[in-house]
Amino acid sequence: MADLDLVDFAVDYAREKGASYAEARYEHQIEEQFILKNSVLDALYHGEDSGIGVRVLAKGGLGFAATNAMTRTDVKALVEDAVKIAKAAHRKDPISFAPEEPVVTNWSVPQRKKLSDVPVEDKIEEILHVDREVMALKFKLVARYFQQANKQIDKYFVNSEGSKIRSFSPRVRMFYFLTLQHNGSAEQTSQNYGWSGGWEAMDELRMRERVIEEAKSMQNSLEHGKKSPEGKMDLVAGPQVTGIASHESCGHPTEADRVLGREASQAGKSFITPASVGQRVGSPVVNVCDDPTMEHGIAYYAYDDEGVKARRRYLYKEGIINEFLQNRETAAILGTRSNGAARATTYNVEAIVRMANTFVEPKDWGVDEMVEGVKFGVYMKSFMEWNIDDKRYNGKYVGREAYLIENGKVTTPVRKTVIELTTPTFWGAVDAVGKDLEIFHAGFCGKSDPGQALDAALGGPTMRLRNVYLR
Amino acid sequence: MEDYAERIVGRAIDLGCQDAVADVSVNRSYQIRFAQNQIVISNRWRETTASAFLVYKKRVVASDIKDFTRLDAQVDNLVKIAKASQENPDYGGIAKGPFKYDRLSVDKKIVDLSDGYDHVDAAVNGALEEGAKECAGSFWKYDEEHYLRTSNGVNAYDHRANLYLSIRALVSLESSGHGVACATKLSQFDPEKAGHKAGKIAALAKSPKSGEAGKFDIIFDPLIFGSLIDQVGGHAGAWTVMAGLSPFAKKVGKRIASEAVTLIDDGSADSIGRKRFDAEGVPTKRNVVVQKGILKTYLHNTSTAKKFKAKTTGNAGLVSPDTHAMVCKPGDWTRDEIFEECKDGLWLTNTWYTRYQSYVTGDFSTIPRDGIFRIKKGEVVGTWKDIRLTDNLINVWKSVEGLSKNVDQVQWWGEVYVPTFAPYALARKIGITRSAE
Repeated sequence: MADLDLVDFAVDYAREKGASYAEARYEHQIEEQFILKNSVLDALYHGEDSGIGVRVLAKGGLGFAATNAMTRTDVKALVEDAVKIAKAAHRKDPISFAPEEPVVTNWSVPQRKKLSDVPVEDKIEEILHVDREVMALKFKLVARYFQQANKQIDKYFVNSEGSKIRSFSPRVRMFYFLTLQHNGSAEQTSQNYGWSGGWEAMDELRMRERVIEEAKSMQNSLEHGKKSPEGKMDLVAGPQVTGIASHESCGHPTEADRVLGREASQAGKSFITPASVGQRVGSPVVNVCDDPTMEHGIAYYAYDDEGVKARRRYLYKEGIINEFLQNRETAAILGTRSNGAARATTYNVEAIVRMANTFVEPKDWGVDEMVEGVKFGVYMKSFMEWNIDDKRYNGKYVGREAYLIENGKVTTPVRKTVIELTTPTFWGAVDAVGKDLEIFHAGFCGKSDPGQALDAALGGPTMRLRNVYLR
Repeated sequence: MEDYAERIVGRAIDLGCQDAVADVSVNRSYQIRFAQNQIVISNRWRETTASAFLVYKKRVVASDIKDFTRLDAQVDNLVKIAKASQENPDYGGIAKGPFKYDRLSVDKKIVDLSDGYDHVDAAVNGALEEGAKECAGSFWKYDEEHYLRTSNGVNAYDHRANLYLSIRALVSLESSGHGVACATKLSQFDPEKAGHKAGKIAALAKSPKSGEAGKFDIIFDPLIFGSLIDQVGGHAGAWTVMAGLSPFAKKVGKRIASEAVTLIDDGSADSIGRKRFDAEGVPTKRNVVVQKGILKTYLHNTSTAKKFKAKTTGNAGLVSPDTHAMVCKPGDWTRDEIFEECKDGLWLTNTWYTRYQSYVTGDFSTIPRDGIFRIKKGEVVGTWKDIRLTDNLINVWKSVEGLSKNVDQVQWWGEVYVPTFAPYALARKIGITRSAE
């Protein structure tokens, strides 16, 4: 670790140079990636990313500068850069931050098995083991790509209002991509799981079983899959489908910076405006939350990258647009308080409004109960292709593992079921929400410029949608 | 900085590695982001990073080193990790240098540029003059030096500096346009033109109505066509093919596009992606990827080239091959002729969120954004919204009928990853879908 006094110094020096507000964030991230392609360990990545980012408000403008040179001379130059470029903005409307109380604390995520204690050989063996087991099925898996990735993130955040926060966040990911062929036809899957914590993730995420189950379902789909029916019918959407819909058509449109146009040129705007709060977008059984404090969700944090305490945010509550994700800048514009959604991927980029662990709040339905209530429809457990427009109104999810439901029973697999619906049509059709919450589907959420691909959990229970058009 | 590179390579070899590469990059880039016609933040970086690639008995380790006070200890740790790792039988070594490189120089006026506020103003004012109400985007001054050393005799230096601006102009939430400006010379940088283009599309796209599903002839504007070119370049990487992430497996020598299409990856040409060498130190060069619709080669590093019994194309990244800058060979149509040939179709100006149901077949969809125009007899007769291009990548490329004589250099967040020279294009009977009622 570098000399952390430099972080405090950066903030003090920024104030001395004329910043009305200053914050400095030092990060040291150890990252490992094990890349297994077609049973060969293609490469192993081991990097240590470290440095300091300084953000200041001066004369109503915002400046950010970053370096990995942790000397007093370099940090001084960095601060001078940040203050100078902030002052040069010449904004008509000065930027301000919503008020916050200073916080002095340490937080960390516990590890039952410390990542740093697990030998490289064991980590490699874990993915080799998964690969061996899936190959033992003797399916025609013509391409296999596994990536096991671990991060250990140390941070020290200081601001000019008196906050000093140290944190340690270990994260584990497992990504796999499989191509399975049968009788000249191919099926592909791409799955990503994540965990905040230590190497116990391998047991908790049950990767071996998941990959085996997935390969079997792919083979089943290729051997027995029918063309998916077209028309209006009921849909039972598994946790993975619920999760992606929560992220794309609820989390993103309620990001306040997007609503206010700060992301317009990149990730886009939103069909939601500040006046939309209180408007109905889903059925009364729908609560979509974003909660950084979900234990072991890949995006767990206790305080955000502006030093604001994290809490659960109800984005859609009982089907009504309820709350935006806010940082201090957007909160000031909208006359409210930050709800702790500011995050940055690394020290060298500004913290902006981000989702964390986004999911549909579970209710009390069992999956079997939901299926029993369907005369004819589709049970979509997972998806492959997906996208949504930049105002987050027109979403598409194409089934990977899906089955026909006939007279209350799950029957034959169906291939490439397409859900292509507007956001209100999708959420408005939900009539039942299950109790089977899963929060370990992990994504890399892309936003900002330079692009910040950030850890995000996409979860939820199974949901039932009535009378939606599928093809 | 060359000392750092030398030290990494030397120490790794001393510790028993057979191959070692170190690319020390010094980043002095600067960015201004703007939204609602005002600057929202300015960013400046002063960073030095050593990207290292070490191989011990075919055990491959890659890394980025940021803390140079612990350089030796970090190299020692990487070698230790390599020794504990597994052999990669597909590893085929790194290129044998030294190499001769083209004499390239950067525009000193770009290197000396201390801010970019006038460029942001020029772009925003250009869009506002066309009728836009709200503009957002980024101005970038990229300035990076690279010091490369390899254990196979490469000792190379490159200075890369260029300017880039991206602007989205909006008249309303659903009436928007996008423009970009790219230049390696300050005198050629034209953010005002990018602003005018974005503003003009936004103004033309007023009051869009929901589009219809079906098969349509499509005029692709250079920005969205650049996205489709980017898809070809990205999927032509040999590593991508081996991982099952490309529709081009076993298609070298076969038709993947219409005869009108020739696509080249060229890191040596003048573009904002220009570089003197790849990650192994191999000089970049012009590689014809698709010639008159036929896939001619995958993009290789030394290892993948050996696997495919080919030669490296000078596209090595740290682990897998990358594209540098894509060029679509211009056609012989004027822009007006392309529009005239579209009797009943659509003009798409931008897209995002391109995703695949199957990479091996190329079945995908992408969502047009910004101006979407209904074209009849070559004229704009209406504006659409809320549609999706749903088709197959190879089918789309085989459907390209005509390309314009002029190409624009484009690059854009999220969709056009590498700089791309793209013309206007006309393609026939492309699938369009939309959300169900």
